[in-house]
Amino acid sequence: MRIFDPHIHMTSRTTDDYERMSGAGVRALVEPAFWLGQPRTSTGSFIDYFDSLIGWEPFRAGQYGIRHHCAIALNPKEAGDPRCLGVLDEIPRYLVKDRVVAVGEIGYDSMTPAEDEAFAAQLAMAVEHDLPALVHTPHRDKVEGVRRSLEVVGESGIEPGRVVLDHLNEVTVDLAADTGCWMGFSIYPETKMSPERMVALLQRYGIERILVNSAADWGRSDPLLTRATGEAMLASGFSDDDVDTVLWRNPVEFYGQSGRLDLEPTDAGDHFAGNSILRGGS
Amino acid sequence: MSESTGLRFGYGTNGFANHRLTDALDVVAELGYVGVALTLDHAHLDPFAPELDRRVEQVARELRRRRLAVVVETGARYLLDPRRKHAPTLVDPEGHVRVDFLKRAVDIAVDLEAEAVSFWSGRTSPSTGTWDRLVSGCAEVVAHADRREMNLGFEPEPGMVVDTIAQWRRLRDDLGAPRRFGLTLDIGHCRAVEPQDAAACVRAAGTHLVNVQIDDMRRGVHEHLEFGEGEIDFPPVMDALRAVGYTGLVGVELPRHSHAAPEVAARSLKRLRAAEWLGRAAETVAADPERITAILPAVRRNVGGEAADEARIRLLRSTPPQMAPDLYRRGDNDEKRAVLQALHRLDGTGAHLDLLHDALRSNDPRLVAAALGPYSRHLAAPEWRQAVLKGVFMGLSPSLMHGIEERADAELARMLESLRREREATGRGLPDDVTDLLERLSRCASSTPTST
Repeated sequence: MRIFDPHIHMTSRTTDDYERMSGAGVRALVEPAFWLGQPRTSTGSFIDYFDSLIGWEPFRAGQYGIRHHCAIALNPKEAGDPRCLGVLDEIPRYLVKDRVVAVGEIGYDSMTPAEDEAFAAQLAMAVEHDLPALVHTPHRDKVEGVRRSLEVVGESGIEPGRVVLDHLNEVTVDLAADTGCWMGFSIYPETKMSPERMVALLQRYGIERILVNSAADWGRSDPLLTRATGEAMLASGFSDDDVDTVLWRNPVEFYGQSGRLDLEPTDAGDHFAGNSILRGGS
Repeated sequence: MSESTGLRFGYGTNGFANHRLTDALDVVAELGYVGVALTLDHAHLDPFAPELDRRVEQVARELRRRRLAVVVETGARYLLDPRRKHAPTLVDPEGHVRVDFLKRAVDIAVDLEAEAVSFWSGRTSPSTGTWDRLVSGCAEVVAHADRREMNLGFEPEPGMVVDTIAQWRRLRDDLGAPRRFGLTLDIGHCRAVEPQDAAACVRAAGTHLVNVQIDDMRRGVHEHLEFGEGEIDFPPVMDALRAVGYTGLVGVELPRHSHAAPEVAARSLKRLRAAEWLGRAAETVAADPERITAILPAVRRNVGGEAADEARIRLLRSTPPQMAPDLYRRGDNDEKRAVLQALHRLDGTGAHLDLLHDALRSNDPRLVAAALGPYSRHLAAPEWRQAVLKGVFMGLSPSLMHGIEERADAELARMLESLRREREATGRGLPDDVTDLLERLSRCASSTPTST
């Protein structure tokens, strides 16, 4: 089973996780920019984080044979903090980078006017840089949040096929199903989806335009729930090919729209990108 | 940069000699070529086979269906004479056989809606009157092409009577500079025999170009090579083709690579597109250096992973040196490495040593390796020794560290020796090449008289 986790925050995970993910079949991932659990206090804090997403983290992932890409954005939780807004001027410089395959996470947290502004401004950046957008749908007042997100997406002029609405569930999936947007589901203990509930949705809605992610971060989460979902699919009668569509081909198609995915295999443990600088290489 | 239309790449069917023509067209079109240079030959549209009209109509249909443009090539080896390669040619006494063939090729080209018919002179021979026969043969072909309104591309070919652009000009003058007598230029031939480089040849040919063949080659050796195997620098050639306003096909000419045609064709198109992008990128940066901040991050996705390192360094060479710190600091690790590797060419003073310090703090061995390149000569001895030690610690081979043989000293030996003892305490030794270095250093130390 080859797995592309389209949404996972590796910055908060250990090398044990990388090792287990690699063993479970994860070969590529996208790490969208989000908050750190602890609020940031300045633009500089974002810069260091973004630099890590395009620098250190891909190196770390490469050691385990995993291709690391990222999405860059000012996240909705911090879009209301005036100390952080300066980062909006820095983001365009990151949106041209080679491993930046989307703008995200953007969207709503508490649906404030400040969030409105940051959301619209960053959708415009996605259009300008010809990048897909990853839209986080809020944890609270979710139905209204998805509805408003779809309105903002509509107004931005971005092509719906270049947008994923993430963290959907049984309650919100119908709002997204006929919009042409991709539907993202996070398999995350307690607060989001479980593998079994995900399989039930796949049986009802099919496997097209669906992304399944672990959204693993600094909370109680599990980077192997993508794999668990694949196994649950097989157990309920989906074919290997169906699993490959959901866990690999779909994310490749969605983020491939950036023209920047680099999926050449890496040799695990070679210290990044098949380099020949280390002894024994040639 | 991606918005403009770009060059039109084609592939010569003589490089698909082991394929049926329709199969070759399939492969070429699927790969993304927009045209073919179709060599009329026994297996690919034999111009002397029965029911020629029907066959030509069929091929025209196949080309249209795949939206492939076409130029007609006439360089088949044994089409007219099964025993003598290329014979007879326009310079031979029996040249009329070739004249008839070329007229026939013009007729076929018209029916295929081809963009041009390409042909050449023939081998130099001791017989007299070759030039006159060449001129009169060409005149006949030109007259026929005029009637049929088909453009001709005459190709200078190494080892033939007309082997250079200068000879082509002489022939054109002797023909009275007819409008339809254009030039087929093989970029590889330029490297092999022309006095100027290939880009200059393209500029010199200018609006006379009606057909371009492309391949790599070495000086003085007429052997068609895949891109990257010869000596030609292609990005400036691509720039030159755009600069002279050439809109015809740029057709890959690798007639000896049929055994691996699909792979060769796939590789070739990638490399051509990479060269085109890189040429254009360099021009853009030269005109507006600020654009490098958006172009440098885009290198891999435009030239491919294999060629990316070299391409980044190339672009940095045409960038103002004062931009280096910003490009490094705001770069991802690939961009950072490129800046470090280009630094010694951008600055001879050591003014940007802080970038090396930054890289040497990192734990990415590729960054540390790049920091130990030629610019590291500006590091003071203690910093340099620490850098080498860190590199060895991370597993880098000393042979990749610039100036290691000249700069390594007793103090470095002491540090490495200490690392060796530490490693041995954990049951691991040092790699052989580090041990070798250490031994060389101790030999030097023991043979140098100690000053007291």
